[in-house]
Amino acid sequence: MMLRANTGLAAAATIALCVAAASLPFLGVSAYLTALVYYAALYLALGQAWNLMSGLTGYVSFAHGALAGVGAYAAVIILNAGYPVAFGLMAGVAASALASLFISITSLLLRGVAFTFATLFFQELALLFTRKLEITGGAGGLVLSKIMPVWLPYVLMVATASSATLLVLVLLNSRAGIRLLAIKNDEDAAAAIGIEARSRKVVVFCASAIICGLVGGTHALFTSALYPDVVFQVDLSLIALAVPMIGGVGTAFGPVLGAILYMGAREILQVIAPALHLIIVGFLILLVTLLLRDGLGPELLRLWRRMRVRNVQVAPPQRGATL
Amino acid sequence: MTPTLLLQLVINGLIFGGLLALVALGLALIFGVMRLVNFAHGIFVTLGAYATYLLVANLKLSPLAGIPVSALIGAAIGLVVQELVIRRLDNRPDLEKLMVTYALAIIGLGFFSATFGGDFRSYSAGPRGNIAFLGATIGWRNLVVLGVCAIAGLATILMVDRSRVGLGLRALAQNRDAAATSGVNVNLLQRYAFGLASALAAVSGSLISMIGTTTPQVGEEWLLSSFVVVVIGGMGSIGGAIAAGIAVGLVQSFASYFTDDGWARITIFMLLYVVLVLRPRGILGRGLPI
Repeated sequence: MMLRANTGLAAAATIALCVAAASLPFLGVSAYLTALVYYAALYLALGQAWNLMSGLTGYVSFAHGALAGVGAYAAVIILNAGYPVAFGLMAGVAASALASLFISITSLLLRGVAFTFATLFFQELALLFTRKLEITGGAGGLVLSKIMPVWLPYVLMVATASSATLLVLVLLNSRAGIRLLAIKNDEDAAAAIGIEARSRKVVVFCASAIICGLVGGTHALFTSALYPDVVFQVDLSLIALAVPMIGGVGTAFGPVLGAILYMGAREILQVIAPALHLIIVGFLILLVTLLLRDGLGPELLRLWRRMRVRNVQVAPPQRGATL
Repeated sequence: MTPTLLLQLVINGLIFGGLLALVALGLALIFGVMRLVNFAHGIFVTLGAYATYLLVANLKLSPLAGIPVSALIGAAIGLVVQELVIRRLDNRPDLEKLMVTYALAIIGLGFFSATFGGDFRSYSAGPRGNIAFLGATIGWRNLVVLGVCAIAGLATILMVDRSRVGLGLRALAQNRDAAATSGVNVNLLQRYAFGLASALAAVSGSLISMIGTTTPQVGEEWLLSSFVVVVIGGMGSIGGAIAAGIAVGLVQSFASYFTDDGWARITIFMLLYVVLVLRPRGILGRGLPI
């Protein structure tokens, strides 16, 4: 019961934060602040998509940025053909889901690192193909022919990030989520108690790719132009895994902390040391994985609980209390 | 297609394949002995390439002198990385192992980009001139690269197959716990394997700087093709890695002649998916399950 009440409260807080963040551009807040919130939402949505697959099942993906890129290209191609925005986003989602099925069919029937290889090479192939193909505009890229109002991608991105967080939250508190964690901890033991791993992995990866497709399509509305070397650079895939790794893998709110920290660190680094960005992100992932293991979020929570327990113990016995 | 052209393409493929095999050899060694997919292997390739470039450009040495220097620097930094980071990964879940070597690769990429910028660097010092062989032309430079690959590869195979250290490495690869109970010094051998693999990667980097251009991404690019090689050859199989390296080199050479470099890369990367679906233990079926 306790858990249920807490989950309900957390879900309500997430929705309230989402509505508050989504209404910012209509309250006359500065464009700089809304841009910061937009990027935090982008990092959070990608991070939760990665968290959903890799954080819950333990199969590491290096392709989440590329899956978003595929969604972005599909959305722009459909929008430039004259269809409405909703169709473009749906096309983005469909393309990313299909791409995830390609990776699943070739590698998720196997255990372990085969999936990671399949995602790594998907990233490279997506780049090579978009540079070559006519429909994606080759190396010159694609430009969105319609200009979108700024609030549209902003609201969509905030909604995507919040929905993804809610999805992970609900899943973590459901039987389905516990079965996924069982697969992550020991696939053989999970199989022994009747948890079928293959189809679950494929479905979760597809759901994760759908979030990426939404992110990609929405971000294409925001940037209005796609260049293969920008869309498929390793950066987005790195962000997708850095956000939950830093904040807390396999938790619902760790990635929120991770996304905010990442966005802040990036803003500061762009001013003081733009060249050192990769080194610092790399060291952060390295140190958190080696020393904290669970990420910053769970570690802070543990620290907070320990402090509360200590306070209770330190409190002196009341004098004159009735026996 | 004339026989001369065929010969020329085969020779080009052998040179590319020899380098790939040398990079893949280290990957296979580390995976076999430590069950670790080392995403950080590429930074040692880049390290060797820049070390050789700096020796040639600043000290006016022959690039041949860069080969042993790269090997030493590669081994030294490999040992430091093994002691500070990799050693702590024993018995950690795969997710953490992957993240840590990936983070190392990102740090390396960031370091080389910040230090050297995105410039393409190359030099003209070193062996020059061509020799004619049955109508095909081979540059001395390429011949030297092929020779060094062959020597380094053979030496590694002999070491693993014949020496006492090699026996220990093979025992570790077969069954880590049983090897440890029979008195194999696991820590020492893991250090040895990681240092040797890093030295091999640095030597390949040194050779790559002789026949190509040196950029911060050069190691990552070669690492990707080498992953295809180790998957085709069977994870952890050293013989498989060498055979697959040469095969992939030949495919690359012919594919880039008939189409272009981009399609050649696409062809090689698609091979990975084909092998994953049809022969997940490698073409020869001798690899460990991935």
